[in-house]
Amino acid sequence: MREIIRYGLILGLVCFLAGGLLAVVNGITAPKIQLQKEKEEDFALRQVIYGAVMFKEKLENGRLNYYVAYDSANRLKGFVVKSQGRGYSSDIEVLTGLDLNLEITDIKILYQNETPGLGNRISEPGFCGQFRGKNLGSLHQIQAITGASISSEAVINSIKDRVSALKPNLLKDIQYAR
Amino acid sequence: MKRLIKEFTKGITIENPTFGLVLGLCPTLAVSTTVINALGMGIAATFVLIGSNIIISAARHFIPGRIRLPVFIVIIATFVTICELLMKAYFPALNKALGIFVPLIVVNCIILARAEAFASRNPLLPSFFDALGMGFGFTAALTIIALVREILGAGSVAGIKLIGHWEPITVMVLAPGALLTLGLLMAFTNLLKIKRSKGKHSGIERKAGGCSVWR
Repeated sequence: MREIIRYGLILGLVCFLAGGLLAVVNGITAPKIQLQKEKEEDFALRQVIYGAVMFKEKLENGRLNYYVAYDSANRLKGFVVKSQGRGYSSDIEVLTGLDLNLEITDIKILYQNETPGLGNRISEPGFCGQFRGKNLGSLHQIQAITGASISSEAVINSIKDRVSALKPNLLKDIQYAR
Repeated sequence: MKRLIKEFTKGITIENPTFGLVLGLCPTLAVSTTVINALGMGIAATFVLIGSNIIISAARHFIPGRIRLPVFIVIIATFVTICELLMKAYFPALNKALGIFVPLIVVNCIILARAEAFASRNPLLPSFFDALGMGFGFTAALTIIALVREILGAGSVAGIKLIGHWEPITVMVLAPGALLTLGLLMAFTNLLKIKRSKGKHSGIERKAGGCSVWR
């Protein structure tokens, strides 16, 4: 019995020290990590819609619905939509830029963990570049990657579903801006 | 001093974690697709190894034998978490490339094996050199495997294209390519060991069902 209490105390002490050390390191790194995340997201937003400098989040029930993009003269430039799709081995996260005709300006794969050499080629310009100038009606023309149809379809369908669902909201925003 | 040098070099040569002890193969196979990833993983594992070896060696008289494993794991997990937080804050791109394999350093056999087999029985200085050597050996092995796989599988080194027109051998960046490379390199290092110790005891048993066994 006494042994068990002694072991428990020693383990508790070790965990207490470890926890304290981690709290200190977390306190130092947490603001830096947050900053990196914001920088990354901001960079990605600028990449998918050329010429936009300001992005406003549109929330729905407290969660991010889509971004509204404005140019330097504060005019409505377009939208950025985030969508998720189930790929072959991961959930693929895509950022899609849309202009005022709801045509795609560019897309960027934010997160994916697909098969190296096959599915992960969805991040390459050869695939992503095809999305430029496409709209809901012409998305089906995009060529899937050979040997990676599941990953390719996941990207195309996630964009199609998300943009279709948001279309009424986006049209309302455009109407309002005019 | 001579002993310290021995503790350092054994991790690179005869007790190399990958080719000699054959430990920690899961991250070896997974992250050796590019040289940058291999170096990043090697350095992260070395950091954890040095930290855990030092602390465990320093506290070895206070840790009761029966609860040593949970104590080791808590110490190792603490260093891994520190490593992950630092990486996220200062090297976000590398952290993204290594993904789940950074937190998985906790269960990397090399680190627990060194804690159990070396640091818990030896003074601080040899433990530090042991960790340094093992970490260096692990990094070197990973980098060599990654070098072969990246050149053949992507035609580049550390992301820099070597050959202009090159049809990559896709299998080299996939799991089978990792096993092929590892197997051939291991055979090569074993061959070197046999050659070098001709006549003497080589450390390699040639009787175990035709397989060579390290002892």
